[in-house]
Amino acid sequence: MKRLLAALSLLLALAFAFPLTLQDDLGRTVTLKAPPKRIVTMLPSVTETVCALGACDRIVATDDYSDWPESVKKLPKAGGLYNPNPELIVSLKPDLVLVSKYGRLYETLERAGLTVYAVRTETYEDIFRTVRTLGRLLGLEAQAERLVAQIQKEVYQEEARAAKAKSRPRVYYEIDPTPYTVGPESFIGVLIQKARGVNIVPKELGLFPKIAPEFVVEKDPEVIVATYPNALETIRKRPGWDRVRAVRAGRICVYTGGEDSLLSRPGPRVAQGLRLLVDCFHGRP
Amino acid sequence: MTLSLPLAVRRGLVFAWLLFLLLGALVLGLAFGAVALPPEAVVRALLGLEENPIVTELRLPRVLGGMLVGGALAVSGAAFQGLFRNPLADPYLMGSASGAAFAVTLFAVLLGGLSPAFAQHAVFQHLPFSATFFGFLGALLATLLTLVLAGGVARTGELVLAGVVVGSVLTGLTTYLMMQDADRVRAVFAYTLGNLAFVGWAGVRALALALLLALPPLFLLGRVLNALQLGEETAKSLGLPLEGLKLLLLGAASLLTASAVAQAGIIGFVGLVVPHMLRRLLGEDYRLLLPASALGGGALLALADLLARTLARPAELPVGVVTTLLGGPFFLYLMWRRRGRA
Repeated sequence: MKRLLAALSLLLALAFAFPLTLQDDLGRTVTLKAPPKRIVTMLPSVTETVCALGACDRIVATDDYSDWPESVKKLPKAGGLYNPNPELIVSLKPDLVLVSKYGRLYETLERAGLTVYAVRTETYEDIFRTVRTLGRLLGLEAQAERLVAQIQKEVYQEEARAAKAKSRPRVYYEIDPTPYTVGPESFIGVLIQKARGVNIVPKELGLFPKIAPEFVVEKDPEVIVATYPNALETIRKRPGWDRVRAVRAGRICVYTGGEDSLLSRPGPRVAQGLRLLVDCFHGRP
Repeated sequence: MTLSLPLAVRRGLVFAWLLFLLLGALVLGLAFGAVALPPEAVVRALLGLEENPIVTELRLPRVLGGMLVGGALAVSGAAFQGLFRNPLADPYLMGSASGAAFAVTLFAVLLGGLSPAFAQHAVFQHLPFSATFFGFLGALLATLLTLVLAGGVARTGELVLAGVVVGSVLTGLTTYLMMQDADRVRAVFAYTLGNLAFVGWAGVRALALALLLALPPLFLLGRVLNALQLGEETAKSLGLPLEGLKLLLLGAASLLTASAVAQAGIIGFVGLVVPHMLRRLLGEDYRLLLPASALGGGALLALADLLARTLARPAELPVGVVTTLLGGPFFLYLMWRRRGRA
């Protein structure tokens, strides 16, 4: 009896929810007649969220960089932000395409008659906003609420672990050796703060500033985090950097080969990225 | 103002002024940076009275490296202009810089099996001179290709057109190689806009070696470049072994371009603007123009890099953006003047 009621209420909810009209993150009005069953996702973090909502089997293609969970690796790859493959996308006849708000892919796909929803996933808050939005789009609102609660619980566990640490190390985070770093208000900047590290970069410099090397040497960070191959040797061999405390003490954490995605994608695995930083700043439990 | 002075005095003044600029660039470059240091701390660090890696390991090699890169680009620009009897020739427009960049990138890819954008930086930091040599071959081949496509140096329009085509194709290939690592587009752009951030003593040594090899023959061949301005026939009638000397000039200028590109990426307009400014002050005498370009290019790039690293400090602008914003309008002015005269 209970089950029947549950099933009925679900059907009712669906009946009222669709057709669904929403404003996407570009301010476009998007209407879905029914819950989509053939989805193309063009952002790795969105692919992860759709799968975390239990709708992985509805995805028919992803962008080139989506690589989690394992099952999406086998799917057709429709390019990236700079080299998308709209012909492939159209040929798969999707009933929903999730694209980045950057780039003009949505125009092409719209002209081809597809339903396109543009997503912005940049900040920590965007994670939860996107989960809820995708929940509505896919007709999985209850799952979305559960997923939000689950992610928040995992993040809180890591934050609590970091809060027990006595020190708050000065941190320099390098995303490429040019060197580009992250500002405190970027997604990674927020994770650094949650892991109880102090970013040496002031927020006035914006989200992803190209930083002067002598500024880093002057700030003398206690920990360096880098997310590109060969970072350890690159950083150690820089002129004058052998005096930096993190280099002298060997406290350089390098995350590559998939671990970097945990830190760079505002998605459902954010707590795992946070755990990497807490381990790096304060040691493993 | 200087027009009424005797020629020798005027030329002497120009060189004195260039030396003063270079010295000023050195002093300002050491005094200012992302970190505010009191002047006496800088002086004490330079004299070795006080340890300060910011001055001795970061600023000093970066300023000197910028001067050597700027000098190399300006001298090779002047040499190209003389060699091709074409005021618009410079390492950038002749495809030579793009050739060097492509070769250095290819070298990095072959060497590392790493993603190109990163191998690039590993090459800069670990193997400065071998990268220069590879870039030298690239610069030389690209320039020769430009010459073949243009059917020689006689027709200005075709030469510039061929240079632009070769340069664009090679830049496209370089970008393609680097974009294999599309996650790191920022690093790619940083390279194609020039970057002096990590020029250390190893880079300064590699640049100095290239300049030591390339500058003496160029300075000695100033007379040949002067003769060339009168036309190939006249130059030949003076009894010069022209083909060999032209190849030597081309090789030396390519080596300079390559050493600059290998250390600092692609920095536009220095090779075009500096010789032109100096030509107006010194006249068309390459015996003076080449050494003057070395000094002027050094001062200009060191000052441009000073702007790049202090305007938004402690963030940095790409130095190529600064030189292009200074050089672009100058280029237009040049074209406007040429049109006015014709």
